[in-house]
Amino acid sequence: MEAIKRKKRKEKIVEIIFLICASVAVLSVLAITFFVFYNGLAPFVTNSYPLWNFLSGVEWRPDSNLYGIFYMIVGSVFATFGAILIGVPIAILTAVFISEMASSRIGKAIRFAVELLAGIPSVLYGIFGLGIIVPYVLKISPFAQGESLLATIFVLAIMILPTVVSIAETSIAAVPKEYREGSYALGASKVQTIFRVVLPAGRSGIMTGVILGIGRAIGETMAVMLVCGNPIAGIPTSIFSQIRPLTTNIALEMGYASGVHQQLLYSTGVILFIFIMIINFTVNKLVKQKVGS
Amino acid sequence: MSRKIKDNIVKSIIYLATAITLSVLLFILGFIFVKGIGLVNWDFLTRDYNEKVFYAFTQSEEIPMSIDTDTLSKNTPYDDRYETLTEGPIYIENIGAAVSKISYKNYTSEKEQFVISYIEKGSPLLNAKDSTGATINIKTDFILESINGESFENLTLDEVVSIISSQSGDLKIKVVQPGGGIKSNIITTLYMVLISLLVALPIGIFGAIYLTEYAKPGRIVNIIRFAAETLAGIPSIVFGLFGMAFFVVALNLQISLISGSLTVAIILLPVIIRSTEEALKTVPMAFREGSLALGATKLQTIFKVVLPCAVPGIATAVLLSIGRVVGESAALLLTAGTVSQIPGTLFSPGSTLTVQAYYIAKEEGNIELACAIGIVIIVIVIVLNILSRITSDKLDVFNKK
Amino acid sequence: MDKKIKFNTKNLDLFYGDFQALKSINMEIGEKEVTAFIGPSGCGKSTFLRCLNRMNDLIDGVTIKGEILFDEKDINGDIDVINLRTRVGMVFQKPNPFPMSIYENIAYGPKCQGMKDKTQLDTLVKESLVKAALWEEVKDRLNKSALGLSGGQQQRLCIARTIAMNPEVILMDEPTSALDPIATAKIEDLMSSLKKDFTIIIVTHSMQQAGRISDKTAFFLMGEVIEFNETPIIFTNPNDKRTEDYITGRFG
Repeated sequence: MEAIKRKKRKEKIVEIIFLICASVAVLSVLAITFFVFYNGLAPFVTNSYPLWNFLSGVEWRPDSNLYGIFYMIVGSVFATFGAILIGVPIAILTAVFISEMASSRIGKAIRFAVELLAGIPSVLYGIFGLGIIVPYVLKISPFAQGESLLATIFVLAIMILPTVVSIAETSIAAVPKEYREGSYALGASKVQTIFRVVLPAGRSGIMTGVILGIGRAIGETMAVMLVCGNPIAGIPTSIFSQIRPLTTNIALEMGYASGVHQQLLYSTGVILFIFIMIINFTVNKLVKQKVGS
Repeated sequence: MSRKIKDNIVKSIIYLATAITLSVLLFILGFIFVKGIGLVNWDFLTRDYNEKVFYAFTQSEEIPMSIDTDTLSKNTPYDDRYETLTEGPIYIENIGAAVSKISYKNYTSEKEQFVISYIEKGSPLLNAKDSTGATINIKTDFILESINGESFENLTLDEVVSIISSQSGDLKIKVVQPGGGIKSNIITTLYMVLISLLVALPIGIFGAIYLTEYAKPGRIVNIIRFAAETLAGIPSIVFGLFGMAFFVVALNLQISLISGSLTVAIILLPVIIRSTEEALKTVPMAFREGSLALGATKLQTIFKVVLPCAVPGIATAVLLSIGRVVGESAALLLTAGTVSQIPGTLFSPGSTLTVQAYYIAKEEGNIELACAIGIVIIVIVIVLNILSRITSDKLDVFNKK
Repeated sequence: MDKKIKFNTKNLDLFYGDFQALKSINMEIGEKEVTAFIGPSGCGKSTFLRCLNRMNDLIDGVTIKGEILFDEKDINGDIDVINLRTRVGMVFQKPNPFPMSIYENIAYGPKCQGMKDKTQLDTLVKESLVKAALWEEVKDRLNKSALGLSGGQQQRLCIARTIAMNPEVILMDEPTSALDPIATAKIEDLMSSLKKDFTIIIVTHSMQQAGRISDKTAFFLMGEVIEFNETPIIFTNPNDKRTEDYITGRFG
């Protein structure tokens, strides 16, 4: 009897250890939220810097105590939007090619290439951008530097390709074969079948991919840092303007900032965090919707 | 007929899009290889990034050269890209070594250096000590800058040879161990991979076991899953912010190897949980039932039946994780720093390959060197990809049977 | 009794890789008749049906030998597959309406053919639904998703969708196997009313169904046609012992 009891107790203890391990993910999310918000909201709570000036300002000059991030939000949004505009169509069509048109061997090879693209660290995308895209933009730019919104858009468009391709491809492949058969039996061509039946049927999965792509673009730091220019002020007025996305603001100055300056970098993180949370919730909704239907 | 034309146009657009995706990949790989390949060599992989200056103390001793001059001139401890031979080599008996003059050129400067190109057996240089009495491993490719206070600056090789030859007895030689390599970054990366996996792997695997084997579907599971998904979606710069606030400042671990590793461990959690969970789910229910029916406890069933079946999946998780650590930069920039050195302790800073590539591109503007590091990173990524393909194929085979 | 021959197959062999699924099929299928294919699972009846509008093109590794003449033209020869499929429609085992509205499901085929005129489409949608005996049930919710319909309604929608193309032949691959008896009865009624306008070829696993609705019946076994004759003869006085065994339920 005693032995059985001991065995049972041991099983229970191990189960609790497993539960604790599983909870680490939850604790991490809570801790991350707490620490970023605690530090990031401090300057507004203690009134050491007005929230409105922070949100609406278009200059970031720590030496003159000016910390405005409105122009960074605009930069982040423009860059993300541009990247989606270019990257998403290419990615979806590539996914269509892999799952609907390529032979299984070629499809496999392209899938491998896409995975490789996903595995290349973002710094290398940045170095590529700095070595190829920035000089090229400089050639056509009216300004004296190639670091620009345009260069950022190109780099980000490339970087979201693997995310969108692989998720779109999975959801296209998940469209039941019956839909395709039904369409062919009605005399539709392959292209008609793809665009009128398959893609609409895989819509919610493809949307998930696009939104994850947005998340990747808005959160990208290191690649962008090398190609965006990081100006200290100014809303971008042209595609050749330099921008300073939220992410790079943090990475550039965190190393040496202190006091209110450092706290306001955390505040920048809070804004970024809010953007990402909205994206996460949307993805979650979409995925649930898909399960529901 | 017009439908056919339309279809063909659409088809060509699809082909074009695929071609763009593929050529982007090839273009990036090509760019990095072409730019960087000239710099990748053994020295690059084995040297430290920073030069090290030593004062070497030793006794002069006449050592005759044991090889002929032809063989001597074939010893070329310099590459032809940044370092070109200008004079020499000339053998100097009282230090038992040959010296060459080379011109060294990089992005910012050009200078003349006297390099040891050959060391004879029994050479006094081999047992040179530094001021603390520790042995310095002087090797060919070290640079000589002065001897007994006499500087070699702006001299010809013949002048240097005669200065060295005229010395006897105690020698105090200023030598420089050349830099420009990435040994310390490779080692830092390895440390980072090891420590973060050591932390994240058990937590992630146990967590996945809880989710698949114990948890009943319900609120707790939903919360944990949602948390894991949220973690996966948080950009690494935010992890960096957290790591800085929590590990570096609150726990006072400083910007260090350990702060970086712990931050990365959190980034790895969702990756490990997800792939382990998927692997566990593929283990057929019948295996568990069979084991339980034989009187095994749940725990025994998990560790003796379920987990072994999931090994390929866990291996995939490990490979993916290594890829994540190697590729991580933003979070490490804020938590482990950019110092290119081998971290002596858990609490010293160090920069991984990727952070170093960023640092060199951004702060030094040296794209070629950054690309050379990029080649090393890409080779690692490709190897990891191929390995994970193999392990996940193993998992598939297991499912088919 | 000299009916026009719609399909005529000559020495048709079909292979999935190395496996021969159809062996030397010779069959003449008359116009505006209902022809039923019966036989045990895996006997090749569905495979043969799918040859008739080349749906097997979608499966990798299928090779076909012999001839399939449709109105005396070889459909594996130099013809437009898409055109063939508009003339030879198909209804599948599992109802497979597209995840779009009822209206869009019916209008899909004609739109693919380039029909754009709204009033023309409206009329066509209505006509097709009326012919498929579905109009009364769905006329108030044409813009609702087709996936909200019951299984039987979905299958009639699929038939309506096929009718909208105004095909010459409708192939039906066990169209009632996923339906309950009431829905099945409705579809059978529908088939007998469609027979005057269309040539219908149906694969069924229900001998009663074949007996009720078809004019001619072919019995398939292991990739071969064992017997092909007027339905009453097959069911009452088969020539082949194996047919009789199957009909009387001794195997299958």
